[in-house]
Amino acid sequence: MSSTNETVGHIVSSSSEISTNLHISSEETCSKRPPFVNQSSGVLRSTAFRDYMKENNTISWCTDSMSDFLDYPENIPIKCTNLQIMPSEDIGKPNDWQDWADQLITEDDGVTPNWNEILVDTDVSDQIPKMEYHVGKSSKALSLQVNSLVPASPGDACNPVTPSSCGSQSKPRMRWTPELHEAFVEAVNKLGGSEKATPKGVLKLMKVEGLTIYHVKSHLQKYRTAKYKPEPSAEGPSEKKPTQIQDLSSLDLKTSSEITEALRLQIEVQKRLHEQLEIQKNLQMRIEEQGKYLQMIFEKQCKFGIDAFQPASSTQEKSETELTNEISSSPTQTKTEPDPAKVGSPLLQKQDEELDPLESQPAKRAKLNESSSTESS
Amino acid sequence: MKFGKRLKQHVQETLPGWHNMYLNYKGLKKHVKLISSSLECEISEDEFVYLLDNEVEKFNVFFMEQEEDFIIRHEEMQQRIKRIIVNEPSSQEEYESYEQEMSKIKKDIVDFHGEMVLLVNYSNINYTGMTKILKKYDKRTGGFLRLPFIQKVMEQPFFTTELVSKLVKECETTIGELFPAMVAVEEMTKATGTVAGEGIFKNTVKALLTMKEIRKGSSTHSHFSLPTLNLRDIELIRSFQFSSPIPII
Repeated sequence: MSSTNETVGHIVSSSSEISTNLHISSEETCSKRPPFVNQSSGVLRSTAFRDYMKENNTISWCTDSMSDFLDYPENIPIKCTNLQIMPSEDIGKPNDWQDWADQLITEDDGVTPNWNEILVDTDVSDQIPKMEYHVGKSSKALSLQVNSLVPASPGDACNPVTPSSCGSQSKPRMRWTPELHEAFVEAVNKLGGSEKATPKGVLKLMKVEGLTIYHVKSHLQKYRTAKYKPEPSAEGPSEKKPTQIQDLSSLDLKTSSEITEALRLQIEVQKRLHEQLEIQKNLQMRIEEQGKYLQMIFEKQCKFGIDAFQPASSTQEKSETELTNEISSSPTQTKTEPDPAKVGSPLLQKQDEELDPLESQPAKRAKLNESSSTESS
Repeated sequence: MKFGKRLKQHVQETLPGWHNMYLNYKGLKKHVKLISSSLECEISEDEFVYLLDNEVEKFNVFFMEQEEDFIIRHEEMQQRIKRIIVNEPSSQEEYESYEQEMSKIKKDIVDFHGEMVLLVNYSNINYTGMTKILKKYDKRTGGFLRLPFIQKVMEQPFFTTELVSKLVKECETTIGELFPAMVAVEEMTKATGTVAGEGIFKNTVKALLTMKEIRKGSSTHSHFSLPTLNLRDIELIRSFQFSSPIPII
């Protein structure tokens, strides 16, 4: 479920973030492999794995009870410094926690009352509440269940989870958009500029569902950096070149125009790279689409069990046509094959190897040739 | 040269701070080799998936951080340009500082454009690496991990680079306005003398050439592989790799 509302950002949740970081910390203390949420596409596999992990670990994420959750910190000391739950340096600052706790208490209606218990628990380290909060906004979702698709928090219409097949319960990560940023800038300006504005104030002004003070805070930090250290920015990528602007003004026009030409050259190369990247991405997507389509055909082929074991490639082509005719003409039969997976595997493997005869269909080849000639033109 | 080596080379030459953010292709490849080909070994498959998920997560986090930065910087850039252009110089001193500002921002915006393109490149290289490693895995174990997994990958934030591409295009528009007339690449050959061998430009040149190399026909080239890349002016682009005595400021 994702809305196309473009005025707000997207919250991307990824269940492996938490588990990844817990994994890091737990490796230091526990020899057992901690559970994680398997985000893999295979629903069947993930369930099987989860069950497997349940049996073999004392620490279980797959629980609905709050008490287990509270016990969790004792089992895994999350006090290690390398734990980064969020991509930010703000973890563990006491004043943040207080501020943020206030926010939670006043603004998050969708959260169970139990959250407050955790927050005021002074035994718990500063990092814990943040982790737990960000693990799940929805009241039910203390268990990181793989297969639920939709974030349960109400009023989430404005900040959809991006369409990933992973569960939604872990930290909702913010994906900013230019529109959202504009709203942010407006709010900041209303509050008197980037220096005067506080995250709390900005958050209140923006009135965006699902936006947390944490998001605003880190964004504000970036914003301030960008304003007062324009370019090259301190974010790392750009190398430190001492800008000899003074020298530039004393250079004669010829050199300065040479520089302009060099810049033009640079931009041309960059444009070219970008263009190629877009083309490449499109090709890659199309390749996957074709693969998906073929997979579907093969699976249907298995179901009908027609010519499933024909080794000759010519028969496969023929059978595909036959099959397409069958699929279009007859209603779907109920599966009679004992195990389509087993039947399918040799077929699929063979198909992978014997792509050439199948793919010699002129249309597909022409497509690929066409696209490669487009880029060379 | 194989993909693994290409990737390693690319990572070494890439922007500082990005080094650890690329796909751990070598590590994953090792893992694949260790995996037994028995299909009952669900544990190792899930372990592999776990590793892959971690990689995807790593990409997502990094990508979205960068994207957020770009959004902010893009807006700031626009504001900055407006401010400079509005202050039309009237006196000689003002003119000089105006020129200085203009030069600086021209350089900055071109570099900014380059950074964004490099992020798109980052996304693409990692995606390519993922498909390759998955293909290796399937080949090794006879499994079918690749197709569904890659479908999921394609929905991930790091792969959906549309926003960054949009910013890139907007940047190009702005640049087009700043630079009076765009000259054809052939005419820019005289400018090669002033191209420095460092910084963003070097990275984009290398990225372009790496892309070409990666897409050269390989032993496993099939109709499902990407066609080889034909770049015009490939020799010209190659010539940019050598640093010149006159560094661009």
